[in-house]
Amino acid sequence: MTLFTRGITLKKQTKRPPQELMEIPLPQRVILPLRQYNGEPLQPTVAEGDAVRVGQVIATAPTNASLPLHATISGIVAAVTECPDYTGIPTPCIILEADGADTWIEHPPEETDLEQLEPSEILNRIHDAGLITKTLTPAPLSSDLVPRDQPASHLMDGTRITPKIDTLLITALDKEPALGVNRYLAGIHTDDLPRGLAVLKTITGAPYTRFVVDKNTSPYPQLTELVAADEEEATTITAVNGRRHPLGLTIPLIKAVLGREVPLPYGHPRDVGVAVYDLDTTMAIGRAVRTRLPQVESLITVGGGAVKQPGIITVRIGTPIREIIESLGGFATDPAKVILGGPMTGMAHYDLDTPVTKDTEGLFALTPDEVQRSGDYRQCINCGLCVKVCPVNLLPGILSLYCAQDKFDMAETNGLFACIECGCCDYVCPSRRPLVHLFRHAKYQVMEA
Amino acid sequence: MQNHNLIVSMSPHLRGSLSIERMMLTMIIGLIPPAVMAIYWFGMRSLLIMILAVATAVLVEVGIQWITNQQQTYRDYHAVLTGLVFALILPPSVPWWIPVVGASVAMILGKLVFGGLGNYPFNPPLVAWVVLKLSWPERMNLFFAPHTRDQVLTPLMALKEDPALFYSYDIVDLLVGNTAGPIGCVCALAVLIGAAVILYQGIIRWHIPLAFLAGIAIFAAVLRAINPDIYPPVLFHLLSGGVLLGAFFIAPEPVTSPVTPKGMVLFGFLAGILTMIIRMWGAYPDGTFYAILIMNAATPLFNYLKPKEYGRLKRA
Repeated sequence: MTLFTRGITLKKQTKRPPQELMEIPLPQRVILPLRQYNGEPLQPTVAEGDAVRVGQVIATAPTNASLPLHATISGIVAAVTECPDYTGIPTPCIILEADGADTWIEHPPEETDLEQLEPSEILNRIHDAGLITKTLTPAPLSSDLVPRDQPASHLMDGTRITPKIDTLLITALDKEPALGVNRYLAGIHTDDLPRGLAVLKTITGAPYTRFVVDKNTSPYPQLTELVAADEEEATTITAVNGRRHPLGLTIPLIKAVLGREVPLPYGHPRDVGVAVYDLDTTMAIGRAVRTRLPQVESLITVGGGAVKQPGIITVRIGTPIREIIESLGGFATDPAKVILGGPMTGMAHYDLDTPVTKDTEGLFALTPDEVQRSGDYRQCINCGLCVKVCPVNLLPGILSLYCAQDKFDMAETNGLFACIECGCCDYVCPSRRPLVHLFRHAKYQVMEA
Repeated sequence: MQNHNLIVSMSPHLRGSLSIERMMLTMIIGLIPPAVMAIYWFGMRSLLIMILAVATAVLVEVGIQWITNQQQTYRDYHAVLTGLVFALILPPSVPWWIPVVGASVAMILGKLVFGGLGNYPFNPPLVAWVVLKLSWPERMNLFFAPHTRDQVLTPLMALKEDPALFYSYDIVDLLVGNTAGPIGCVCALAVLIGAAVILYQGIIRWHIPLAFLAGIAIFAAVLRAINPDIYPPVLFHLLSGGVLLGAFFIAPEPVTSPVTPKGMVLFGFLAGILTMIIRMWGAYPDGTFYAILIMNAATPLFNYLKPKEYGRLKRA
C-alpha cells in the first residue's frame, strides 16, 4: 500500500467500473489510417479492389519507427482515401469492406517453448505483430523494449548514467479510473500472461517483478498464483487505490509504487531502472510470440451516460465508432461528446466514422449534462488547488497565465514540457480554466518555433 | 443514425464540482456561526451592520460594473462574502454610515480598481478596515460590553494599558465571546465551527491557518517563558482579537495568499509572528489585520518557494 497524495479521486464516474465482456459482431467496414504517431506515413501494398485476408500486411513501414499495417477483417479493399484519424485530421486511410467470412492468413505453427528463442527473434515477432506501447504517446513496443538510439540521460551536473532495469512493473490499472480493461484482465486466467512475462523478463533483464493492482476491485487469482510460484520471492504485488487519477499513467505510477521520479521532460522509465507494461500488453506479447500472428483486435471500455450498456468489448482495429455504437443498440440519449480514449485524456471526435486504433482504450459518449463547457471560464483566483493535485510538482495556474499571455519562453523555463497532460488541474479548477488546452497550445507554439 | 452535433474540445472532458460560486457560498455558510453569535452578544445592531455592509458591497459592484460596461459578477457571491467579512471585523458601536462607506471602499479600492476577482493584491475587507481605522480612529475604537451599550476596552486594548490586566479575562469568556471586540471575532468557538466547515469542504487548506496560529503560539510561549507576570498565556493570544477569524477566513483568502505549500506555511507563520510583534510593541492593540495586509503585499514572493522540481536525478 502506497500513499499517493497528488491527483484526484474520481468518485462519481468510477462507482461501477465496467467488468463484463460484451460480444459485438464483426464490423462491415474498417478504416486503417496510414499515418502512425511519430512515424513516417506507410506505403500501401494493396490497391483498390484487391482481396485481403485477416492478418495480411496491407502497408509497410519505411523505417523502423513505424509498424507494418495489417488487415483486420477479410474482404476487399474498398478505397484508399482520406478519412479523419485519431487526431481528427483527415489522413490517407485504407478502407476494407468485409466479406463476412473472416478468413485468416495461414497460421504459422504455434510455439509454446519460448526458451529456445533468441531475444532478437522475439523482438522481430513483437515488431511484426504490430504491438505498441500503451502510453500517452504510443510508440512501437519493440523499440520501447530495446531503444535503437539509447536516450542520453544525465545527472544535473552532466554525468552520464547508464541505466540498468531492475524492476519490471506490470500494472493492472488502466490509464484512467474510468477505463476497465486491465482490471477485467486481472480477473481472468490465461497462459499468455506467464509467457509474456517470461519474454519481458528475458528482454529487460529485470531481476524483480512487481504487479500493481487496484485494491477496490475483485481478486486477481492468476497474479497471486504467479507470486506464489516464484521461489526466489522476486515477484510481489502492490495494491493501490485505482480510483485515483493519474495513478494509471506511467510517471505517477512509478513514483507511487517505487518512489522513483522519472526525469522530466524527456525522461523514460528506463532512466530510473524501471520498465512499465500493463496486463493487456503483457498478454499481447505472449500471444504474439506464441502464434506469430499480428494484433487485429483489442479490448476497449465503452462508457458514458449516452451509451446503453457500459462494458468491455473486443473490437477489430479500424472499426468506426458508428459501427460499435450500432452493434450495441445505438445511443441511449443524444450524445454531446464522443471520446476515443478515457474521459480525462482522450480525444473528442466530431465524426462518428473515426476508427478505433491500436492505442484506443475506451469509447465514451457523454450526455449534455456530463459535458462541462469551459467557454465561460474566469480569471485565476490563485486558490492553489491545481498545485495541490499536480503529480509532477508544477504550478499549473501560474504556468497557464504565461501560456495565455504568449510568454512561451517563461512557460518553458517554468516546466511546461514536464506537464504530462493528465488533466487533474483542469478537473479541480474552480474558475474552470482550460489549463491543459493552454499547455498544449504553448507546447505546439514552442515546437513550431 | 444521423450525425449528431458533437462538441469537440481538449481533454479532460470531466470537471469537478467545485466552482467559484460554491467556494464563496461555503465561506459564507462558514461565517454564519460567528454572525449568529454577533447578533446574540450585541443585538440587532450587528444584524444591521451586516445587512448594510453586504447590501452596499453588492450594490456598489453592480453599479460600477454597469457604469463601466463590464460583465456583472455579483452572481459569484464574492461581493456578499466581502461585505460579510468586513462587517464581522467592525466594532459594534459604529454608526450606520461606517459599514456603508467601508463596504464601498472594499469593493472599489479593494477589488474593482484592480480588475475584479482574481487580481487584487490586498484583501478587500482589510483595505476598507484600514481606511476606516485611519480616517475615523475614534469611531473604530469604541467597543461595547456584551448585551449592553457600556463602553469598555477590549482585552487587547486593556493589555496595552496595563500588561497585568490579562488576569481579569477568563479563557471561557473568550471562547464563548462574553467580552468586548469586533462583532464577529469575539466568539472563538463559533469561528472554529465555521472553520471546520470550510476546512472539511476543502475550500481552504490547513497550511495557512495552522502556520499562522503556530507563529502566534510559539512567539507567545517564548514571551510567557521569559516573564509570566507581564506576558499573557498562549491561549489568551490565540482566542483574543481577530486571530481566529483572520487565521481561517481572512489570511487563507485565495486571491491574496500564496499557492505553494511551502509558501503558504511561511506566509502564515510570518503573519503570526508579525501579529505578535505589533501586539507587543506596536501602536495598535490587535495586529492581526495589519499583519495579514502586510503579508499580502509579499504574496508573489512566497510563490517562488516552488515544490521540488520533478525528476531531478540524485547522484547515486
